[in-house]
Amino acid sequence: MTITIILAAAIMLILALLMGYVLGWANVKFHVFVDPRITAISKALPGANCGGCGYVGCNEYAEAIVNDGADVNLCAPGGDGTAEAIAEIMGVEIGSSIPSRPVVHCSAISSQRLKQNEYLGEQTCTAANLVAGVQGCVYGCLGFGDCIDACDYHAIKIIDGLAQIDYQNCVGCGACVKACPRNIISMVPFKSNKILAVKCASKDFGKEVSDVCEVGCIGCKACAKNSERFTMDGNVPVIDYENYDPENDSMDIVLEKCPREMLIWVGRDVS
Amino acid sequence: MTGTNTTLIGKGTFARGVHPPHRKSFAEDAQIEIFPTPKQVIIPLIQHIGAPCKLAIEPRVDVRVGDILGEAGGFVSAPIHASINGKTAKTVMRTLPTGRHVSCVPIKADGEQLEGQALWDDVFGGDWPTTGLEKYKQEEIQKAVSDAGIVGMGGAAFPTHVKFAKNDKKPIDTLIINGCECEPYLTSDYRLMVEAPAPIITGALLAAQAVGATNIAIGVEDNKPKAIEILKKAAEGTPVKIVPLKTKYPQGGERSLVPAVVNRTIPTLGLPLDVGVVVINVGTATAVARAVLRRKPLTHRIMAVTGAGVVNPKNLLVPIGVSYSDVLEFCGGFKPDAARAVSGGPMMGFTIGDMDSPVTKGTSGLTILTHDEIKKAAETTCVRCGRCVDVCPLGLVPTKIAMASKYKAWDTAKAYSLLACVECGSCAYTCPASVPLVQLIRIGKALMPKE
Repeated sequence: MTITIILAAAIMLILALLMGYVLGWANVKFHVFVDPRITAISKALPGANCGGCGYVGCNEYAEAIVNDGADVNLCAPGGDGTAEAIAEIMGVEIGSSIPSRPVVHCSAISSQRLKQNEYLGEQTCTAANLVAGVQGCVYGCLGFGDCIDACDYHAIKIIDGLAQIDYQNCVGCGACVKACPRNIISMVPFKSNKILAVKCASKDFGKEVSDVCEVGCIGCKACAKNSERFTMDGNVPVIDYENYDPENDSMDIVLEKCPREMLIWVGRDVS
Repeated sequence: MTGTNTTLIGKGTFARGVHPPHRKSFAEDAQIEIFPTPKQVIIPLIQHIGAPCKLAIEPRVDVRVGDILGEAGGFVSAPIHASINGKTAKTVMRTLPTGRHVSCVPIKADGEQLEGQALWDDVFGGDWPTTGLEKYKQEEIQKAVSDAGIVGMGGAAFPTHVKFAKNDKKPIDTLIINGCECEPYLTSDYRLMVEAPAPIITGALLAAQAVGATNIAIGVEDNKPKAIEILKKAAEGTPVKIVPLKTKYPQGGERSLVPAVVNRTIPTLGLPLDVGVVVINVGTATAVARAVLRRKPLTHRIMAVTGAGVVNPKNLLVPIGVSYSDVLEFCGGFKPDAARAVSGGPMMGFTIGDMDSPVTKGTSGLTILTHDEIKKAAETTCVRCGRCVDVCPLGLVPTKIAMASKYKAWDTAKAYSLLACVECGSCAYTCPASVPLVQLIRIGKALMPKE
């Protein structure tokens, strides 16, 4: 009896020593070198795996920074803090990065969109966009919320049938931009927490717009005539965000001259 | 040529398909009426599959019927012509029922117009020869058809001259004129066959000459015995054969019609061309005859205004560009229980969002449905019964494709030939779980990344 126990214990001990040695040997022999910086950067990144940087997940972005010299300030959810942490790990300087945030280029709530018809099909923007007549305007927000489904940060709400970005929650990953079948969401550099945006995407002109919308841009060019920050792209103005300085550029005259309600302040500081 | 014909060996029907109620009685016996010239027409610069037209006129000029408004924007394109006499205005944007947002030329009626019987005689009346057509050569017919802006008038509006183009690699031996009109409600092609068979036969002969076909068949569903009889009489002494086909939806689709008439199967993602066949609609055939013999462009068409929701269902000869609301008003307007207006028929038509949008070359009808008819059953889960597979005329697996579209599984969608679907709607019609199969497939087609 005693002998059996001693024998079993001895065999286990020998096995343990043997396997321990094999493991130890394999650890040395098959060691894969991982740049410690990659591990460090992975830790510094928020781990949201949102894909906003353009890479598949945070880990791949970390590898891209170390191996391919990718920019250190691409992480939108992490913002400046993460960028600084990564810059420190990599030993590089970063200029101040301007965060990009989405703007929905439509300002018409449901009651301001004209020529609406009852729509009984699939309740998604993608499906509604395939049929005519859900609403008169073929450019504006449909309000079924495909962008909400795409957003991981609860930063979009449909209020009165219009997609509204909650800039407190938005991290700027750009998922909503890709989800919108009408392509009316675009990423805009937010130099300040309150910037002006053109909230209309209609390429039509004048009466054709006013027939289908109470607020949309009629292409009158009043903004472009009164401010050099505005240029006309077809029948709709675009703001030159490269040169736009939200702190010092006064937009009062433009807002006063615009006969419609589609030049709208957006950002965190807009109440 | 009039002897036995060995190539028309089809069984007179196709595999699978569905039997929706015909509902043709509304306007079946209503003789085609001539729509009085409207105050204004709005003519879209794209009414076909292919490149949009280039605007060819200035605003505020006088135009006559047949004057060119837009030049073809490429080979697969068709010019657009004025359909009434009047003055043009600045172009406007309109959303067609298909969802296309297009630039249109408005024409305000001005001066003398061709009205009533005179208009009918100009379009369908007079003498339509069936002999001595050999003098028209292929190039000549193709050019006349191209210049006249003729597109498929059954609904898809594919430019007809492209079908007539010389093609040495794929010789054509059979021309099929599509007189099935399998879509419920619609009666425009039926009335055309009954009231104007002569230009159909002449157009068929000319089209056959253009494509080099020796077998000419007009396929008509057997729920239209009167049309079959009248066409048979009109085709006497010509090589044109009238082929009665079993009434089943979608008999009028090319992929159902070709096997039914000549017993050849069009390859998946292929065209009738691949099996030596060209198919054109009866309305298109009349337009071909008019273009070649009278040098008149496509400016008018027959449309049915039908359904339980319209006061006086009618068949009308209308100028292209007239608004749906004008047409409806002429037919007495909506009944109180009218719920939905559809451009075309209920199976493949498009719901009209804006009644002020214009009738185009491909508009076969205006169907007004009532509340009872558009009731939507609650969608439940697919029970894998396979009924959609049993009815798909193309032999696809609609449920698989629809689910792949819904969950964006593009590899699966492609493996099951998403793009081969012709959106006939048989699957959604038959689904006991009321899954919107064809709608999901349409979404899939729109979303699937292009290669």
